[in-house]
Amino acid sequence: MTRLRLTHLAAAAALCAFGLPAGAMAQDCEHPIGAVLSLSGSMAAIGSAIGDAGQLAVDHMNEAGGLLGCKAAYRLRDDQGQPSIGVDAAKSLVEIEGVEALLGAIQSGITMPILTAVTVPEKVTQISCCSSAPSFTQLAREGGTEGYFFRTLPTVRPQGFVMAALAKERGYGKTAVIYVNSDYGLSLAKAFQEGVEAGGGSVAVMVPYNQEQASYRAEVTEALRSDPDSLFLVAFPADGATAMREWISLGGAQNLLLSNALRASEFVEAVGAKYLTKAVGIDNAQVAGPSVDAFNISWEEVFGEKPNGPGLHTMYDAAAVALLAAEAAGTYEGTAIRDKVREITGPGGQVVHPGAEGFKLAKEVLAGGGKITYVGATGPIVFDEFGDVTGPYLIWGVGEDGSLTTVDTWSVEKVSELMAKNAK
Amino acid sequence: MLGIALYLVFFLIVVTIYAILVMGLNLQWGFTGLFNAGVVAFYAIGAYGTAILIGPERPELIGGFELPFALGLLGGAALAALAGLVVALATLRLREEYLAIATFGIAITVQLVALNFDALTGGANGLIGLPRPMFGYFETPNLYNVCYLVAVLAIAGAVYALLERAVRSPWGRVLRAIREDATAARSLGKNPTAIRLQAFILGSGIMGLAGGLYVGFIGFVSPIDFLPILTFQIWAMLIVGGSGNNKGAVLGVLVVWGLWTISGTLISQVVPPSLQSQAGAGQAIIIGLVIVLTLLFRPRGLIGEESVVSKHVRAARVARDNPSSS
Repeated sequence: MTRLRLTHLAAAAALCAFGLPAGAMAQDCEHPIGAVLSLSGSMAAIGSAIGDAGQLAVDHMNEAGGLLGCKAAYRLRDDQGQPSIGVDAAKSLVEIEGVEALLGAIQSGITMPILTAVTVPEKVTQISCCSSAPSFTQLAREGGTEGYFFRTLPTVRPQGFVMAALAKERGYGKTAVIYVNSDYGLSLAKAFQEGVEAGGGSVAVMVPYNQEQASYRAEVTEALRSDPDSLFLVAFPADGATAMREWISLGGAQNLLLSNALRASEFVEAVGAKYLTKAVGIDNAQVAGPSVDAFNISWEEVFGEKPNGPGLHTMYDAAAVALLAAEAAGTYEGTAIRDKVREITGPGGQVVHPGAEGFKLAKEVLAGGGKITYVGATGPIVFDEFGDVTGPYLIWGVGEDGSLTTVDTWSVEKVSELMAKNAK
Repeated sequence: MLGIALYLVFFLIVVTIYAILVMGLNLQWGFTGLFNAGVVAFYAIGAYGTAILIGPERPELIGGFELPFALGLLGGAALAALAGLVVALATLRLREEYLAIATFGIAITVQLVALNFDALTGGANGLIGLPRPMFGYFETPNLYNVCYLVAVLAIAGAVYALLERAVRSPWGRVLRAIREDATAARSLGKNPTAIRLQAFILGSGIMGLAGGLYVGFIGFVSPIDFLPILTFQIWAMLIVGGSGNNKGAVLGVLVVWGLWTISGTLISQVVPPSLQSQAGAGQAIIIGLVIVLTLLFRPRGLIGEESVVSKHVRAARVARDNPSSS
């Protein structure tokens, strides 16, 4: 027992010793930018690269002369894919490190409890790169976010409406929907259904599937039973290929609508390009333009490869928006940052791009009392009243040789028009 | 320093909620020997039960009864106890590893039901906008947290007192008798099946209570809160702390959860920023290492089960050792 107590004491002493540098560092004038991401757990494969994207934005800000005369310090924490751990990490960032702008999380089921239990009560601005659930919009509409929540990832709702418009355009009258049973899949499938019904049609059947099963024969059979003339598959590449192979082998129509996550060569290879020539899919358009190039080039400089992967562009923008809003606010304080977010992304200011040069220009303009418009790694960013952005989309298809082609693009204006028409 | 204190309040609320959960498991495993590998199922049923009872009315959802939190909490615990009854009737004939597999399956089932029964649970999106009890009455959220901590501490204290009394009662001695040798207990005229059933239901209800308190604290519930790993964490807390001892159960929560979370804070401060993406893996290694070391060097846990069962034996021993004082 005595030996045990001694080890406890030693552990406690170690804790105190490690805790000290944080206090000492604070005197060197730092503004901590917090991030809670899944570096381990089920999203680990994409989490650490997303973390790097946030780091890149903070580094650019420091190269440009820092944040509000101090150094911006990036404080990245792992949520291990668990809400309780993510919430704890967020609370410790806010209370112990003094974070006023928090980035993250990836999964909506972690972002939401951080929002309700930490950032909203503590009046900290939270910007997510990756959470797509519609429940954030709903909570914002009810006033539950108090305006502290933003996300740089376009929500999936407009995607569903665009796909519905596409189905109508192609004359599909009886589409079956097979979707991955996650917040992402459910939201996209529901939005598609809503869009089809708004256009006077109806969906043949909605079939959810659970991830990582060996076979989806049961789901495919259920979808086929309604005798559909087309299929909207909302899936991730590996499971999607399994389901698609079964759909084709059981004689399903080759009138296919595909979700954004299926725009991957591994999906096309696993299914076979010859079955997919009539397929069309949707994805967030990687808007071309100098602001996107600026990000891509600086990513390549630092990491030696192209920024391919989910969440990199949106995470960079999340961090950039937080940093520039704080700079514009003139004080590192959550509510002030919240109030400046729309101002620095809104139209009519000096356009600034990602990268140290862009941030330097932004700081100069802001210091001179001017107004900036940040056009980011995902192109122009326009937050609506609920903190959501609408993105431009591209419509993709599959060539006979299996290459992914771009069939059409939908600009932000065209998407907004469609959404406005459906809202009526 | 204030920041650290405020974080500690937050940390202790989670610890206290998990302590209630672990005490529920301790009753089932530590005292009665029931290998419940589906802890998270009862925690989830309590959480969703409370959420549905207190939640706001929404057209697309069944439920949203907008009941006062206390009623929602009791309702959630009662639902979890009821689920415990159903599960126990179906599975308690099974022994040890078979019971473990069956309850593990039930935990997965409950999580999948939560994920798929959109109309009741909100599906993958979860239930949002749940009222936090009396939140509006406090000037600052941190003052609220302090009061919530006091409230959960009081509830945990009540559960602790109840369990301590129960396991020291004749009923509690039967629990241990059944754990050690059900046949011997039966030969003494006890009914092991009935007693196991009672312990399982009571334990499940306590787990449900913890779930309801979690919902009141976070104001949101979704299926990802109830991943199977949580069952593993709860078991780790009980094993490290010492099963068969409620003090050990509580200490285990403090140590394991502290390690699980504080190691993250430490790593983020010690590790240079360029390596932080890799630091998450290091954290997992530290956690695993401490659990393995505890099992190697203190296999009975930090505070193991007390070896004296009857206070009469202890009294007799004291009297024998100190004849002058009595």
